[in-house]
Amino acid sequence: MERRSFIGKAAISLVTFAGAVAAISYLRQFFPRLAGEKRRIALGDPRRFPVDTFTFLEEHKLYVYRDHEGIKTVSAICTHLGCILEKSIDGFECPCHGSCYNNEGEVQSGPAPRDLAWYSVRRGADGKIVINPGERVSSDEKFLSS
Amino acid sequence: MENIKRPSGIINRNFFLHIHANRVHVHSMKPTSTFGLGIILGFLFLIMLLTGVILMIYYTPSVETAYQSVKDIVNVVPGGRIIRNMHRWASQGMVIVVFLHLLRVFYTGSYLGGRSLNWVIGVVLLIIILLSNFSGYLLPWDQLAYWAVTIGSNIAASARELTDLLGITNAFDPGGFLKKLLIGGESVGQPALSRFFTLHVIFLPLSMLILLGIHFWRIRKDGGLSRPVRYADDKGSTNKWYAWPVLMWTELGLFLLVVVVVLFIALLADAPLLEQANPSFPENPAKSPWYFLGIQELVSYSAFAGGLLIPVLYLVFLFSIPYRDKEDSYVGLWFSGKSGLKVIKRSAAFAFLLVILQLFVMIRFGWLRDWFPGISQWFVMLINPATITGGLFILMSEVIRRKRQSSRMAALALFTSTFVALVIFTIIGIWFRGPNWEFFWSHNQWPVI
Ligand code: HEM
Ligand code: FES
Repeated sequence: MERRSFIGKAAISLVTFAGAVAAISYLRQFFPRLAGEKRRIALGDPRRFPVDTFTFLEEHKLYVYRDHEGIKTVSAICTHLGCILEKSIDGFECPCHGSCYNNEGEVQSGPAPRDLAWYSVRRGADGKIVINPGERVSSDEKFLSS
Repeated sequence: MENIKRPSGIINRNFFLHIHANRVHVHSMKPTSTFGLGIILGFLFLIMLLTGVILMIYYTPSVETAYQSVKDIVNVVPGGRIIRNMHRWASQGMVIVVFLHLLRVFYTGSYLGGRSLNWVIGVVLLIIILLSNFSGYLLPWDQLAYWAVTIGSNIAASARELTDLLGITNAFDPGGFLKKLLIGGESVGQPALSRFFTLHVIFLPLSMLILLGIHFWRIRKDGGLSRPVRYADDKGSTNKWYAWPVLMWTELGLFLLVVVVVLFIALLADAPLLEQANPSFPENPAKSPWYFLGIQELVSYSAFAGGLLIPVLYLVFLFSIPYRDKEDSYVGLWFSGKSGLKVIKRSAAFAFLLVILQLFVMIRFGWLRDWFPGISQWFVMLINPATITGGLFILMSEVIRRKRQSSRMAALALFTSTFVALVIFTIIGIWFRGPNWEFFWSHNQWPVI
């Protein structure tokens, strides 16, 4: 009798354990494994951007700013709920709930919880200029394209 | 012999009598007891299923072809336009009627007398209806769809507003987790469409079907619909009528009426279909469907507080009602009599004034960030019309609970005030918000962009 109840309990524990593992691995499938690394973006020839202007890179949802010193890029995605910002006279404006940012990407008004993200611009190993959305920089760091 | 056999014979052969008791109390038959709202909801759901299956045959859930397939349903498939219109209008009908049903069940105190489980199932059904609408919205892959779901999925991620402030997002990110579960990526794309399609055509309707079965079964199990205490022990025959066939004809008539109304609206008005989704340019204003504009208004104060905290608290409140209020003497009585009506009127007036006052201040003078530039996000998140309104309502309802020594009165106050606030925020969102979510008295004043 002793042994039987032991085997019974062991069997139940085993089945429960197997069931739990199966359930967890099943539920795990609902969470996609996303590539952590963000893809770098080729900037191309910096001279294609007009000087003293923010240019919208539609495909990458970025604004590229170029002046006589250099070039820098800022995310065009509102930190509130992800709408695409429009350029206003002295900054950026969100059409969705009216958040406003200045030209440094700092929140001026509205519900946006964070300042905009500036991304690093560097010369890659192959000599091409790339934007790296994985690396954040401050708003006054520019890539000096001599 | 004949006498004993007949009724059960009918029951076995007849689906109708599986839903209704053989005999139903007179009070339940009075139109003003239910206004037939639950039944109407059931019929609308049936229309959703029937039209949905047709749409599903012609629709393709792929970002490349979804938009065109919906265009084809409208322009090429014979009768497709009507089917799509019916599906759309019936779904909005469900949103309206489910809230009316909620109001009727609440104000007649029909969660009382052992009906708490059915109330809870009801709230889950309400959530499922809203989720069905939300997921159905993405499928046409037009501008409205894309941006409504972008905003919606970021609301799911808005717990980040809190975790960012605490500086723990890197270690613990429930917002990102939820968003990933919902749309399968960082931004809305094919994975989101596939997920929403699955939710919309399988998971949600199936859940709704199962829960509806339980919902209907519980009504019988709970001793029929709620009725005032004076009828409580009516086991006698005089106040109970045979459901068959009078009730059947009434409900069949109601069904035809619902179909006719939906069909009529579908013939008159086309369901909107905007331009194809463009991930680079949101509409301005980017408005979600009308029944979510109340939440969109709240979200425009703070994503976390308005989009997550307050709605979740509201749902917690709804779920908890039958567990916090057990004053069964009010069961089945519209508005809980005179004293209840007084509480309802006062809390409605309080809610109206409170919300309008805050909106006035906000629209006229701005809010914290306009007065104190650079103010910490903590204040923006925690002190805004959404949180102030919620906090004061809870306070008011607690005061009433103490003063009147009645949980039903407290529930009446909180339910009424939150509902009035929801309606006002929704109206503001629908008619008084324009480009950049700025306040406008009318659409005519919107600037041309
Ligand atoms: C898909 C959505 C729903 C459907 C189809 C539905 C259907 C029904 C029907 C047919 C009835 C019979 C009485 C009547 O017509 O009013 C009923 C009763 C009831 N419903 Fe719902 N309902 C839904 C959602 C809800 C919601 C959102 C709630 C509340 C949170 C709720 C709570 C109840 C309760 C407590 C009863 C019993 C009322 C009584 O005994 O008088 N239901 N429902
Ligand atoms: S998404 Fe920009 S303000 Fe809401």
